[in-house]
Amino acid sequence: MIGSLALGACSSTSSGHGITTNGRIIRVVAAENEYGNVAAQIGGKYVNVTSVENNPNTDPHSYEVSPGVARAVSAAQLVIQNGVGYDAFMTKIESASANSKRQVIDVQNLLRLPDSTPNPHLWYDPKTMPKVANSLAADFATLQPTNASYFKTNAATFIASLQPWLAAIARFKATYPNTPVATTEPVADYMLEASGAHNLTPFGFQADIMNGVDPSPQDVTLQTGLFADHKVKVFVYNQQVTDSLTGTFITAAKKAGIPVIGVYETMPVPGFNYQSWMLAEVEALQKAVADKISTVKL
Amino acid sequence: MAGSLAPVFEPGFFSSSPVHVALIVGGVVAIVSGVVGTFTVMRGQAFAGHSLADIGTAGGSAAFLVGVSPLYGFVTMNLIAAGAMELIGIRRPRGRDLATGIVLGAALGLAALFLYLDTTHSSTTGATINVLFGSIFEFPSSLVPVIATFSVVATGIVLLSYRPLLLSSLSPDLAAARGVPVRLVGIGYLVSLAVAVSLSAVTIGAILSTALLIGPAAAALRITKRAPLAMAIAAAAGVAATWLGILLAYDSYDWAPGHRGWPVSFFVVTLVFAFYLVIHMSIGRSHGHGHPSVGTGAA
Repeated sequence: MIGSLALGACSSTSSGHGITTNGRIIRVVAAENEYGNVAAQIGGKYVNVTSVENNPNTDPHSYEVSPGVARAVSAAQLVIQNGVGYDAFMTKIESASANSKRQVIDVQNLLRLPDSTPNPHLWYDPKTMPKVANSLAADFATLQPTNASYFKTNAATFIASLQPWLAAIARFKATYPNTPVATTEPVADYMLEASGAHNLTPFGFQADIMNGVDPSPQDVTLQTGLFADHKVKVFVYNQQVTDSLTGTFITAAKKAGIPVIGVYETMPVPGFNYQSWMLAEVEALQKAVADKISTVKL
Repeated sequence: MAGSLAPVFEPGFFSSSPVHVALIVGGVVAIVSGVVGTFTVMRGQAFAGHSLADIGTAGGSAAFLVGVSPLYGFVTMNLIAAGAMELIGIRRPRGRDLATGIVLGAALGLAALFLYLDTTHSSTTGATINVLFGSIFEFPSSLVPVIATFSVVATGIVLLSYRPLLLSSLSPDLAAARGVPVRLVGIGYLVSLAVAVSLSAVTIGAILSTALLIGPAAAALRITKRAPLAMAIAAAAGVAATWLGILLAYDSYDWAPGHRGWPVSFFVVTLVFAFYLVIHMSIGRSHGHGHPSVGTGAA
């Protein structure tokens, strides 16, 4: 297992042991650290990954670019980004330092999703990372053809290591079908959907919280009613985007005896890789529904 | 619209707790704004009032960093700014705009920094819109007593110092000659202005709060020169604009682009402007000039 995780915007970490006999290290920039983590697992000792979004205390939607990021992107041979407008700043930096040899993996394009896709948190979808892993392996092989089989093996290992997570999702779906839940934001919606959960919070409300505007009083009343009337089994909120309004919902949920889960928008570090993080989120869901245990922090 | 009265009040308006809080807070704040705003217009301190509101953005955005309600940030920052404006020289007509402008510039710089830190280093996405444009439907009901207390303080200062305040607002020289402590009265008034602007800022947002402070009062002073009546008209018009604004914002849930609702502050400010425009047009220019006299004002 690759232990090192992607670090700050201006720093980076090599997951290997310096220059190898096979040639140079591939420089990778990931817009979000969950993609950076997967890139480090696939590239192994031949890549050096820098992640832009890696602070669990900030809201990635409102990120501003620093000159350090622009420098890292202009030196990168491979860039991986989410797309769907989530990290539009990356496209701007890439066009500002054009480089025809640079590989760019845009996960939205990889999954053939339209720009109108309402929920941009693609990494929570169990179908996403296997495709990302294979695409990374293919692009790394283009950059370093001699190590193609190494990358391919790593991708296969990574995809196999997602099994405990996928099994946990399947188990939850079978044990607790159609579990009603409430959320603040669509951050974990793809995973909730895969787990067979039924999100009773209107999407307009979730989008308003995600976009930092006030939800309508109608939606607030509906959401409050979900807790007061015990219509949901668990309240899933975005741990990285909170304010006094989301605070009142957490209070309302606790008052009604409904367990809460604080999910993460970017991968929490240190202590997690992508697959262990995702597994921890499903386990938190399982604990909440089965034992009424809240998980505020992973 | 189906032609019946039902579409006027969308379903759930009267039972919605965010609406209840908004109606209470908006109504109280509109009354305070009417009372204090009448003197703001009479004293020619509209620019100072607007500047206090803008300066308040620094306090409101700092409150997010500290993790308390922006209300406390607005009040704290506005009181500090009012003190600074008084010290630099808000009393001298020539120095007044300059003093206000200098404090304003510095405070907006701080607001830029705090709003940046809010969105990048703490997990508060909505800070910018909340501080600048208000968030009345999301106002916590636990803070309603705090709003009431501040309202009593702001209107209390104006009403307790009513006669000397009126005299020194109309003619500072005459007031001084009659032994009125003009500076002390002015400081007391600035405190109530700072609090009133802060209350208005949590209702319709910091940069729009002057609309509620100045608009109804300016229109009322065109209708009557008697200060008590003007304060009553301004308060009533402000309450009407705020409540109607809340209703329209609630109803706008079904308007394009659909199921989001338009912001309350937009409706309130537009209604206040429309009210001023109607009064301005119907009364005409000839009646609107000159200050109210001490005699009629005190009647």
